[in-house]
Amino acid sequence: MATEVARPRESPLGITVRGLLRQRSSRVALILLGVIVLIGLLAPLLAPYDPAAQPDIVGLKSLPPSLAHPFGTDPYSRDVLSRVLYGARLSLTIGILATFVSLTVGVAYGSVAGYLGGVVDGVMMRVLDALLSIPRLLLLLGVLVAWPHLSIGALILFLGLTGWFGLSRIVRGQVLALKHAEFVTAAQALGASRRRILVKHLLPNLVSPIAVAATLGVAHVIVLEAGLSFLGIGVPQPLASWGNIIQDGVDQIATLWWMSFFPGLFMVLTVLTLNILGEALRDSYERRS
Amino acid sequence: MIRYIARRLAQAAVIVAIVATITFALIHIAPGDPFSAVLDNPNVSETVRQTLRAQYGLDRPIPEQFVRYVGALAHGELGWSFSHDRPVLEVLGSALPNTLLLMVVALVGGFALGIFVALVQVARRGSIADRILGGITLLFFSMPDFWLAILALLALTYWLPIFPVGGAVDPVMHEYMSLGGRLLDRLKHLALPALTLTLLASATVARYQRAALLDVLPADYIRTARLKGLTERQILRRHALRNALLPIITLLGLSFPALLTGAFFIERIFAWPGMGYAVVNAISTRDYPLVVGGVIIGSIMVTVGSLIADLLYAWADPRLRGH
Repeated sequence: MATEVARPRESPLGITVRGLLRQRSSRVALILLGVIVLIGLLAPLLAPYDPAAQPDIVGLKSLPPSLAHPFGTDPYSRDVLSRVLYGARLSLTIGILATFVSLTVGVAYGSVAGYLGGVVDGVMMRVLDALLSIPRLLLLLGVLVAWPHLSIGALILFLGLTGWFGLSRIVRGQVLALKHAEFVTAAQALGASRRRILVKHLLPNLVSPIAVAATLGVAHVIVLEAGLSFLGIGVPQPLASWGNIIQDGVDQIATLWWMSFFPGLFMVLTVLTLNILGEALRDSYERRS
Repeated sequence: MIRYIARRLAQAAVIVAIVATITFALIHIAPGDPFSAVLDNPNVSETVRQTLRAQYGLDRPIPEQFVRYVGALAHGELGWSFSHDRPVLEVLGSALPNTLLLMVVALVGGFALGIFVALVQVARRGSIADRILGGITLLFFSMPDFWLAILALLALTYWLPIFPVGGAVDPVMHEYMSLGGRLLDRLKHLALPALTLTLLASATVARYQRAALLDVLPADYIRTARLKGLTERQILRRHALRNALLPIITLLGLSFPALLTGAFFIERIFAWPGMGYAVVNAISTRDYPLVVGGVIIGSIMVTVGSLIADLLYAWADPRLRGH
């Protein structure tokens, strides 16, 4: 009516996030995730020892948890707590950066396929089918075994380059659905270029599904990186990652239980909070649309 | 239907061809060649290196190598495994039944358990029980395969020695057992790896199936059933579950990569002599042909899995059956 006041326009993502914060479980998850991120950021201040130091490889090796070493020590006499804290930093960094790579490639690939359509789309989707039918872990095994001694940067790149297949399919579907929407036709009538329509009109409508994919994607990369490090081809020693700490203790699993238990606990908490947030984001977004 | 099957088969063949191209690209983009890890050291003379490379055609131009590679693949040749000193296909072929056994048990168990949990949750939707079960399934869903396997190994073989520590059979006594004893021995060794993979699979199924059931509940036929005076239980089992089975078939196709990946880690931890165990060991011995063979066989398994799921879907959905 006439009394309706013009409100500042709220972004689709803003509405989605507001819906998310209405739930107690996602608020708790957000706080917990914040604590883990803080631990990662402050690792140098929080860690009682140098994570790579091997002070006494005979006397301090493989000690069970104690006051001096709350999470015990590993077979090289390194402090497991310090390694787990530094591991938080590395695992989160890898998760976020690799997901960023995935999002960039996935959005570009999916929106181009969806927008161009026709034969191009058909070919691009068949390639995607093939990529999707190689289990991600196996694909990474093939790459990482061929390139031994990779830097962390390259590891992040490969983790990212194998993680965009699912997202690009979602993006393509959305672009395909919105391609003939009225606002796109209007933009076309006004003479906007294809590129401008994609970037200015279509992509803003994809922010929520992308946010969901990003949150779940970080969780997935963290598990994957840990798995690869556990198999000995992920994060190289002496750097600490949750996966390679577990690997250091796996040969004496029965006696060195603290080496798999504590890093795994941190990993599960991180992944759990990310999954709770990702699913809540998706619910909030799907309820709206 | 026959046309659909033919089209779907052709599609699967195209996928396998693209996978083969990708693995070929992987081999050739990487520094060195499959022999680098084994041969490029001062202990191997230059002539030996060159002879071997010539024997395997690695000195030919890339396009020619590609044609030979595809030809070899078409004949089922996956190369030679250095660490086993046997053809890759033989190594993986002899390990495959163990992996399939593990996967099939986990698939059947995981879907049964997952669907059951989802039914319990939906029958009491919104209750405390629903939320607790939801929390448990989310926890298992978030748990890395290898960590759950390590916990299971620690708890149920070392602390409470209920199950044998690893392997597929007792390494010493198996040969001396009677037929029934051998079977029991195998089952005892299978139990814990299969249970771990079943739990992991069931968490995904339960979460997915709960959502699928909740999706069909607002449908008209459910309201009709309710108006007919059917109990909630009858509605769930006879009407909702049947219609929510289609998404389950979709999930079946989607779950093969995760199941295979899970099997790889679980085989590593329980020393279960399957494909994953062979491939993971090939990582430390730098047996590249065996790893690549694992990638190809694994991808074929996933492709065949989703092919079966799609055909099952077309058969199960009366709306598609006619086409």
